[in-house]
Amino acid sequence: MAISRIRGLVLAASVLILTGCASTQGPENPADPWEPMNRGTYAFNDAVDTVVFTPVAEVYAFIVPRPVRTCIRNMYLNIGEIWSMINSNLQQRHIDAINTTGRFLLNTTMGLAGCIDVASMQGQPRIENDFGITLGVWGVPQGPYLVLPFLGSSSVRDGVGTGVDFFGNQFDTIGQIPNVRIRNSLWGLEVVVRREALLTVTETVNRTALDPYSFIRDAYLQRRAAMVSGSPDAQELPDYEDYADVEADEKALGIKPEKDE
Amino acid sequence: MSSLVNRDGAWFVMKWLRGAALLLATLMVSAVAVANPNPQDDPPKFVQDVADQLLVVLKSDPEVRKQNLERINQVVEQYMMPYMDFERTTRLAAGKYWREATPEQRQALSAAFKNTLIRTYSGAVTVIEDETYVEVLPFRGDATAEDVVVRSQLIPGRNVQPISFDYRLRRGPQGWLIYDVNVENVWLIQNYRNQFSQEINRSGIDGLIAALNERNAKN
Repeated sequence: MAISRIRGLVLAASVLILTGCASTQGPENPADPWEPMNRGTYAFNDAVDTVVFTPVAEVYAFIVPRPVRTCIRNMYLNIGEIWSMINSNLQQRHIDAINTTGRFLLNTTMGLAGCIDVASMQGQPRIENDFGITLGVWGVPQGPYLVLPFLGSSSVRDGVGTGVDFFGNQFDTIGQIPNVRIRNSLWGLEVVVRREALLTVTETVNRTALDPYSFIRDAYLQRRAAMVSGSPDAQELPDYEDYADVEADEKALGIKPEKDE
Repeated sequence: MSSLVNRDGAWFVMKWLRGAALLLATLMVSAVAVANPNPQDDPPKFVQDVADQLLVVLKSDPEVRKQNLERINQVVEQYMMPYMDFERTTRLAAGKYWREATPEQRQALSAAFKNTLIRTYSGAVTVIEDETYVEVLPFRGDATAEDVVVRSQLIPGRNVQPISFDYRLRRGPQGWLIYDVNVENVWLIQNYRNQFSQEINRSGIDGLIAALNERNAKN
């Protein structure tokens, strides 16, 4: 009952978003028909990130020693496990849900409120999950790639998912703290903690990507598709066409390759 | 002070340093030689040996720790490239444009792309600690196939989430060679295909090579 209501809401929301954004010029990448708009948002996010978030995260990394940072980050991730578990259940991935519950109980107690990830050390790594993935498992297609202001990479489906995640994860946990100052400080710290954890990643992307925008987009889409398909063994391997084989075949058959394309 | 500054003193220090360096080098070589990767082995064992060997060097080399690109370059060249079919990696990333490339362009593209990969490593070494290890996960594929995937986890240290690392290998006449790497569900080749075609469409194969080299020359 509840699930079907959520589904209905989501469908309505996706239709609204889809019709709200008129498509731009001829699409180059089928997964990213709104590329010009997305690049604009990306540039905005990048500017904000360079001026605000990265410096703050760097200061945090400089002042706070690594073990303490890991502890704080683990505590935030631990709170998020409840929502991951609910999503695993919504996806009928009950074994994941049981594992996540086990992790949460163990880390909350033995791991001192999530500070130490005891479960990972015992061979039960975290199973990331969110509502965008739930929608994907229910059969909602990814939809066009979408860069959200401040939040970054998303898609029409995952953007809707993120909205639901805010309710499920944030407002029902830290959001329940009555003291406004404590609550907002915890949220503020969470932003810094999450950004700090990504410092090496963004540095590597900036160092290696020819075009950071499409690097991040393609990584995001690959990763989300893998998460929807679930277990690594169920994932489809990319099928690259090997043009050395094509050449070899052509040579064997005596066909001359067409140079102009 | 004076005894160190005079010639004999300096000579003595030099000699001592050289001896220490030699000893260290021997130790490192013997540590590395423990598991020399053999492409004829089963893929999981081969991958484990390649990863272990690389990790030992990355951990023990102070220049690597300082992110000295030149040294990382040497290490990757010596301990990673012999086990990779990097031409294949480049070829698949280039897709249909590979056909239009001259042999010189192919070589230049491969070299430039290799440097990009090395720069990725230089970012990755910052997560490596003394306790870091690689665990190859149970092999689910068909070992008689020509093309297999070996899954593994890099466990950076205690109390840190493992990073998933998958390797895609292909069996050649000399045994297995790695040609694609997946980090946290993102395949290397797949992630460069669009960037490659984008750049080639804009400025041709030479333009792509130039763009990669320019990217590599920056910090």
